[in-house]
Amino acid sequence: MSEIKPEDKTATDKNEEEQDWEAAKAFFESLKTKAPRPPKPQNAVTIAVSSRTLFNMVAERKIFVDEGVEKYVAFQVEHESDPLKPGPAFPFVKALMNVNTRLRNLYPDSEELFDIVLMTNNHAQVGVRLINSINHYGLTIERFCMTGGKSPIGYLKAYMTNLYLSKSADKVTEAIEEGIAAATMFMSRQESDLSDTQLRVAFDGDAVLFSDESEIIVKKHGLDTFFEHEKKFENKPLAQGPLKCFLEALGKLQRKFYAKNERLNCPIRTFLVTARSAASSGARVLKTLRSWGLEIDEALFLAGAPKGPLLQKIRPHIFFDDQMFHIEGANELGTISAHVPYGIGQKYNKGKLIEEPKKEE
Amino acid sequence: MVSTVTNTDVKQKDVDQAVVVAVTFAAVFEPETEDGSSIYRLGVALPLVQVLQRVNERLLEKNPAEHQLFDVILITTESWQQQQNSSIINSTRHHGLEVGRFCFSTEEDYIESLMQNNVQLFLTTDGNEALQATQQGVPSALLDTNWVSCPSEQLRVLFCEKAIFQLNMGSTEASKKSAQNFLAHLGQMKQKFGVFDSPLCFTLVTSHGGKDNCCCALKSLRSLGVSVDEAYCLGGAPRGPILSLLRPHFLLSDGFSLLEG
Repeated sequence: MSEIKPEDKTATDKNEEEQDWEAAKAFFESLKTKAPRPPKPQNAVTIAVSSRTLFNMVAERKIFVDEGVEKYVAFQVEHESDPLKPGPAFPFVKALMNVNTRLRNLYPDSEELFDIVLMTNNHAQVGVRLINSINHYGLTIERFCMTGGKSPIGYLKAYMTNLYLSKSADKVTEAIEEGIAAATMFMSRQESDLSDTQLRVAFDGDAVLFSDESEIIVKKHGLDTFFEHEKKFENKPLAQGPLKCFLEALGKLQRKFYAKNERLNCPIRTFLVTARSAASSGARVLKTLRSWGLEIDEALFLAGAPKGPLLQKIRPHIFFDDQMFHIEGANELGTISAHVPYGIGQKYNKGKLIEEPKKEE
Repeated sequence: MVSTVTNTDVKQKDVDQAVVVAVTFAAVFEPETEDGSSIYRLGVALPLVQVLQRVNERLLEKNPAEHQLFDVILITTESWQQQQNSSIINSTRHHGLEVGRFCFSTEEDYIESLMQNNVQLFLTTDGNEALQATQQGVPSALLDTNWVSCPSEQLRVLFCEKAIFQLNMGSTEASKKSAQNFLAHLGQMKQKFGVFDSPLCFTLVTSHGGKDNCCCALKSLRSLGVSVDEAYCLGGAPRGPILSLLRPHFLLSDGFSLLEG
């Protein structure tokens, strides 16, 4: 399901892989708890979450920053049996698990499911507390990588990751540069009442689902030029953005529900929340989605109005946007948001060009 | 007939406290000598020998009176190699390798030689040799030619459920004990360094079981004094891509099946 193609394998590699796979299958089938077996990475929609997005580790992070890595690891080991509190990606993960349950009911033998992987920079000793916490909440996360400080990018590719969520902007930027959909998560400031029967995902349009080509025009030439341009090129599809493939993966799973007559009761719902206006620049967006063969359940054109209040009504488990200005607005009104550090929007803050500090020679 | 020769170029390690690691001739050297001379070319295990040396250097930096160091011995496992003893000694000295002694044995008696020299870890590129040594109670690991030759400042040891070679044998009590002993030494060496910038890196990879399985393995190792740095729970996902990123110097498993829950 991922855009990342696995490297060419030899016959021995494939043989070994099959053996590993059969052994894992046997293991899970023998478990008394009947925990569901994780799917093969190439069949699943793999979502990698970092430890700080899955759990609230603000206090622990402070120890790391103020007192250093040794004290931090020691603290975590000491508190190994104390479960951590939920973090920003927690509701999203629970919603994914719910979709999996529904999918397993309808397609008991299919591996087209969500596979949640814990991808953390943490030291393996800290991992024990993480695993204990995962067990405490009954989360179905069977795969993890604790890289002990090394970059997770190689491992993201090895797992054919479809989406990577982290609190570290650097890692997320690196992932996007490598072609992996990724976003930096932010905790919302208020508690919000989220659905526990339906996964709701909201996307911004430009520089998230689509490339930033149009946004460049707005920033450099202003809105009027932008409207003219969009009308003129209405029938030319926009180029794809970093999260297009993730929307595509969601669409594939949605169609599995439609095939079983579950359209009205589908546990996945997608939203487009864009500052574009329907009349002047909306058509191009809808036509682009159509040309890609993608559906989006609800398209909301705000014509520049703030996104916060609308998102508050939608109550998505996650909202992706490329501009911090919108992320902050959403956060303030209780929406869990994720920043996609892509495109020209990164050089601007609230419409003004951020002055780059002069680089030293 | 086994003969053991000391390498006088290298300071000898403490007999009681050193951790003896034996590496085969075929791993350290290529089978052919350099043109026109009797010096053997260096083989795949050179970076491994160098990194063992590096760990020793770092240990001595921390404590100049340190005795718990790696004592590397070179062992021949075939008759033709045994006959090349002088060339082997010369080649080792020529390349300045920190090899403490040489054991010149054949396919018949190399295991006896390993035991006589109190070898705690036997490293070879030959699957059969590793298998036989393990069966006789000497913890062994097969060096994978893909990764062993990556130069590194850090000795990377990987713990996993199954090694590269397909083994279907139970471990004996003796080999379990020796394995535990070796692990304890490794753990003690590592403890002398902090979490950051250590010359020893321990990684755990579980291929088949779930997260609780992996967690148990982490704790078992911890109870033996081994603090693992990185852990990967694959749950059936292919190992190849992960291993090619990890690039371990060697994998420890079958003699170490005490990890299985």
